[in-house]
Amino acid sequence: MKEFNIVLAGVGGQGILLAAEILGTAALKDGLNVRMSEIHGMAQRGGAVTSHVRVGRSVLAPTVLEGRADILLGFEPLETLRNLKYASEKTVVIMSDEKMPPPGLISESTRYPSMSEIFKKIHTFTKKVLIVETTRLSAEAGNTLTQNIVLIGALVAIVATEKLPVKRKCVVQAIKELVPSRYVETNIRAFDLGYNYVKGKD
Amino acid sequence: MLLRGKPNERVLLLGNEAIARGILEAGISVVTTYPGTPASEIGDSVSEIAAEAGLYMEYSTNEIVAVEVAAGAANCGVRALTAMKHVGLNVASDMVMTLAYTGVRGGYVIVTADDPECFSSQNEQDNRFYALLSNLPCLEPSNSQEAKDMTASAIEISEKLELPVLLRTTTRISHTRGPVVYGSIAKPNLKGEFVQDVKRLVMVPANSRPKHDVFLKKVKEAKEISEASPYNTVTRKGKSKNLGVISSSSAYNYAVEAIDLLGLDVSVLKLGMTHPLPEKLIGEFLKAHTKIIVVEELEPYLEMQVKAIAKDYAPSVEIYGKMRKPYFARTGELSTRDVLIGLANLTSKKLPIDFERINAKYADIAKELALRPPILCAGCPHRASMYVIKKVAGEKAIYPTDIGCYALGIAPPLKVGDILICMGASIGTAEGISKATNADTVAIIGDSTFFHAAIPGLVNAVYNNHKVVLAVLDNLATAMTGHQPHPGTGVTGMQTLSNRVFIEKVAEGCGVKFVRVVDPFKIKGAESALREALQFQGPSVVVFRAPCALTAVKEKRRKGISLGVYKITDKCTNCMACVKLLGCPAIIVEEGKVGINEVLCAECGLCASVCPYNAIERGKND
Repeated sequence: MKEFNIVLAGVGGQGILLAAEILGTAALKDGLNVRMSEIHGMAQRGGAVTSHVRVGRSVLAPTVLEGRADILLGFEPLETLRNLKYASEKTVVIMSDEKMPPPGLISESTRYPSMSEIFKKIHTFTKKVLIVETTRLSAEAGNTLTQNIVLIGALVAIVATEKLPVKRKCVVQAIKELVPSRYVETNIRAFDLGYNYVKGKD
Repeated sequence: MLLRGKPNERVLLLGNEAIARGILEAGISVVTTYPGTPASEIGDSVSEIAAEAGLYMEYSTNEIVAVEVAAGAANCGVRALTAMKHVGLNVASDMVMTLAYTGVRGGYVIVTADDPECFSSQNEQDNRFYALLSNLPCLEPSNSQEAKDMTASAIEISEKLELPVLLRTTTRISHTRGPVVYGSIAKPNLKGEFVQDVKRLVMVPANSRPKHDVFLKKVKEAKEISEASPYNTVTRKGKSKNLGVISSSSAYNYAVEAIDLLGLDVSVLKLGMTHPLPEKLIGEFLKAHTKIIVVEELEPYLEMQVKAIAKDYAPSVEIYGKMRKPYFARTGELSTRDVLIGLANLTSKKLPIDFERINAKYADIAKELALRPPILCAGCPHRASMYVIKKVAGEKAIYPTDIGCYALGIAPPLKVGDILICMGASIGTAEGISKATNADTVAIIGDSTFFHAAIPGLVNAVYNNHKVVLAVLDNLATAMTGHQPHPGTGVTGMQTLSNRVFIEKVAEGCGVKFVRVVDPFKIKGAESALREALQFQGPSVVVFRAPCALTAVKEKRRKGISLGVYKITDKCTNCMACVKLLGCPAIIVEEGKVGINEVLCAECGLCASVCPYNAIERGKND
């Protein structure tokens, strides 16, 4: 593996930066070199948020090149589409089913696309798409705020099948370190639910 | 974590957190800041551990005060650091320019975090020019490890030369996480001694003139340091003598990756100390090549100086970058892609990625994508304030606004904000606009920004009798940058309680005759106060006070108080008044029907207040 690139995309408040930090920390625990970009301040207030996690010996730049993402982790369908430029036919898109229409969408001419339209658009870049029922699974874990961790569980399961870095035990350890202690149990449950969701589909 | 980390431990840190660790390792004892993206986490990380670490940290009222406090301490031999965003250095520059003459006795570092691409700023000025302007030494890290190490190196250089040293980051340095190997922590020493030395410290003309000469001698010494600096080095040697690349900071990362992707055989000179530049080192590098490419973000700061050096060392070498022909853009941030394209053009190499094909495919998708710009949060008191302001002052009034979350009020449907330049400018520009137009003028400013830069403007309004309204949107925090405290909160950077400074008392003290404090969610009262303010002959101040929704919700969660929810009842006629008037992200329309997103709703009740059919009610918790 020369480099491994993850693009995380969603809406401010969905826990994207925490998810990215968990992935970056997990890779670091595995002794790997990491770069991870964040955007703070003005860019966060309910707006579109992205974070890039890059792993690999010679990785220096914090951002992924267009067409070079190994994984596009979409926290929201519309934001997944917005970041398709990072994808190629090799990219695996892992996407939450939680739709968050931007406010004011109704008054604009652009309406929220249907799931089949979203699929069609993603397919112009890659056929490897996995939808994760994060709303249902996070509720099952005990807190709908754990959708980010459900997605990470799914990602780790995919990565394991694709034989790429980010090991399960390192991710679990990173969750334990980075999530406030009283929420760790719920988050580990969310992680397992996401992980098993993918494994169950094998 | 920053304080407990052991030497040689390897952790993932933001550039800003790495600087905070560097502060501990360098034994810096006084840290001052005014929060500003992308610099904020430096001060915040230190604030969390300051008391335990035994150092002093403060959120100062603005950047020049921050530099004054730190420079005072540094002139008593105490090690100090001040962190700010790039435009903060404009505010601090008056102090910095002459502090360069007096110098410091304890090491003193000024961190300036630039924001190429304006992710969270009003401009993308290149603060390396402050190094050139002030003649102060400047270090530029390219990753988190260097950010930490250079903090300590900057202190060393500062103490050697007895000069403040600039540490310049950019958003992609400050807000990128990367591995950092810890060094050992040095014990802070807060005990300084003020040594009287009028010739050195009192910058009257007779003392300044000789100090200017002394200063320039120090700059010469700084150049020697730069020549020998481990941060200025050839990081890779190409086999061919043809092509050499010079780069620094973020741009260096993109350049090296792009060089590898293109398979170029080039030497790379990486510059980490970018003022003064290592003239001999650069000169020799130029001599060894026939063609030089300078890869840097924003202004051609290095390119200009490299060209000047070439005149003396290697007049025939070709130098490319952004001056004669723009191979790299002067605006926005760079990316590996930008550098890849620039280098491919300059070397006639084929691009390894077909960007045009990606662009074309992506354009099909992008054209139908609804935008998702940042907006005021659900429950934000600024929405209530601006709803009231717009309702009372109307479409014809002019709204100079300021730096903070409330700048988001320019978006529809509120559309409050007609001119926005810099911290505190709302009140001053309002005075000129009111004089020139006679229109109702309502300046909008936040609480922290009021303390930062509005007070001289307010005194001016009183003194010159400008008929303007200053609406202070007081959410009891420096919200946009991460809820730092400020004088109006009565909490300090040491996380202790202190004297609270009241905005309304300050306004009265400045001589404002009409001052009111209102709750923006009590709409009737707020409306009538503003109406009176507009009629008042002379400057008036209305403070709209309610805590930031994010802190309010967090506080309730912490206390275990469950949030109530507002619900739409069957009295709703779908008139869309709530949608059209407020633009709250918790109010959603699905299949033509208005609804409230229970996860987002912060139970502010503003929608219930504006609903003409009383169709929004506070529901019971399920």
